[in-house]
Amino acid sequence: MRLTPYFAYAKKSFLGRSAYRFDHLMGIFSTCLQVFIYWNIYRALYGQRTEVDGITLAMVTTHFILSMGLKEAFYTDDGYLSRKIRDGSIATELLRPISFKGRMLAENMGNALFNLIFRFIPAVLISVCIVGIRPPADAKSVLLFAVSAVLGYGVLWAISFACQMTAFWLINTWSLFTVKNVFVKVLSGSMLPLWFMPEWMRGVLRATPFSSIYFTPVQIYLGQLSAEEIGWRCLVQLLWAAGIFLLGDLLWRRGQKKLVVQGG
Amino acid sequence: MGNLIEVRDVSKTFRVSKRGKGIPGMVANLFVPRYEKRHAVKNVSFEIEEGEMVGFIGPNGAGKSTTIKMLSGILYPDGGSLQVAGYIPYRQRREYVSKIGVVFGQKSQLQWDLPVIDSFELLKAIYRIPEEVYRKNLDRYTEMLNMGGFLNQPVRQLSLGQRMRADIVAALLHSPRIVFFDEPTIGVDVVGKEVIRSFLRELNKRDRLTMIFTTHDMQDIEKTCRRLLIIDDGSKVYDGSLEGIKAKYGTTRQLDVEFSHSIEVRPIDHVRIQELDAYKKRFYFENTKIELQELMNHLLSEYPVRDLNITEPAIEGIIRKIYQGEEVGA
Repeated sequence: MRLTPYFAYAKKSFLGRSAYRFDHLMGIFSTCLQVFIYWNIYRALYGQRTEVDGITLAMVTTHFILSMGLKEAFYTDDGYLSRKIRDGSIATELLRPISFKGRMLAENMGNALFNLIFRFIPAVLISVCIVGIRPPADAKSVLLFAVSAVLGYGVLWAISFACQMTAFWLINTWSLFTVKNVFVKVLSGSMLPLWFMPEWMRGVLRATPFSSIYFTPVQIYLGQLSAEEIGWRCLVQLLWAAGIFLLGDLLWRRGQKKLVVQGG
Repeated sequence: MGNLIEVRDVSKTFRVSKRGKGIPGMVANLFVPRYEKRHAVKNVSFEIEEGEMVGFIGPNGAGKSTTIKMLSGILYPDGGSLQVAGYIPYRQRREYVSKIGVVFGQKSQLQWDLPVIDSFELLKAIYRIPEEVYRKNLDRYTEMLNMGGFLNQPVRQLSLGQRMRADIVAALLHSPRIVFFDEPTIGVDVVGKEVIRSFLRELNKRDRLTMIFTTHDMQDIEKTCRRLLIIDDGSKVYDGSLEGIKAKYGTTRQLDVEFSHSIEVRPIDHVRIQELDAYKKRFYFENTKIELQELMNHLLSEYPVRDLNITEPAIEGIIRKIYQGEEVGA
């Protein structure tokens, strides 16, 4: 595997990302604000109770800090392929002796790494200072949380990748991504923690990839899962990421035959 | 040594949306979208040997760019087979594209916001060009194209001519053996065009690079290529030398004659006569049907001739006639 060109692309986007200082400040601010708002809503809902269905307010707060924080770090560029097809620059991209998919991943990773350091960490630290967080179950949980978070990013990235490949047919994929984002937001539990979903709904969600994006890492952090369960959940994450990526790859192969280069 | 590029019966069809006029057409299209097939390239075949420099011309929309894009592995052909330097471009894209260079005159491959040299450095990483090869190519090409003055300027601040030269060097840094140029002189001024042409000639002659280039400027072709491929409406209409096309299609000559006093010229077989003014007449004739000498002898012996002027058919005129589908030579 020739890593140097991909590394060059990742580095380029990592460095290029630093140009948008205001954007990052606002991103951190909005994440903290959302955590603060959810914290207040759930504080009001809990009222005098210490726990609901065995879930304490501290666990809910922790859930929001972690999943909102991860959302900052999980960088995907949904319009990447569709932009390149629309302006015709896909032609010059395909002239490079590297994998387009690899390059896409490399650029996203460069951005994600930047966001992890300069957005995830500050947003989490500020939120923790304001609303507090439940300490992790133990040191092992933190490590497994990190592993599972990487896999969760893999699932989210694969979903974005597969959806992007429809651009070969649709050219404009904006509306599809709006739908995708609603699905991710609601079904991943980042708005309403999945603990509070009705039992049947949780069954349905377990059969979708969405719950493995943010919710699995959070559950691991909180020590809610046994060692065996952790193993299973991570395997499920891996299978989702790989399966959806393969679907996207199939679309990529088909799509290339369909490709029309716009403008001359 | 066989052919470097082999194209057999290659076709490419696009589906274009067919939509009625105005709002009713738009509404109808929303519910029942209709498409029609457009044949961008129809059964085109040709071979190109190593070291050849081929001009690839045709009117807008004839299928030149589509053919170039199929040859460079970007587009999949719908039918036929395509082979370049032992590779099937669209199947082995990643290995193949490191062996070729492509310049799209209309699409810059450089990073818009970065200085030219930074784009070159990125290409060096992508193609994994060894340092000494990169240095050698960069120094040589930037000197030949006189680019030292703007290597450190951001691409967006360059003039079109400068950007084009930078794009050409970008396509050559990894020492490709085959280079495709899609309108490399478009929008460039006369001096700039000349610099580019002589650069390409030099590369072809000294380095034996195989080149195909498309253009709308016949001067480009006349000054660089020995071989010409003409494509029109997706089909190949001519493949041969520049002289060949003149011999084949440019058979109409014109002879302008100035007489010493106003006279009436009697009709001559196979010659069309046009009155320019009282003293001047223009004679169109087919050199396959009547010899120039024969015509001149006839005129000189019959009429008081003061001056004669013969005009060779210009390549532009011939090409224009082929594009317009006229019976060439009529």
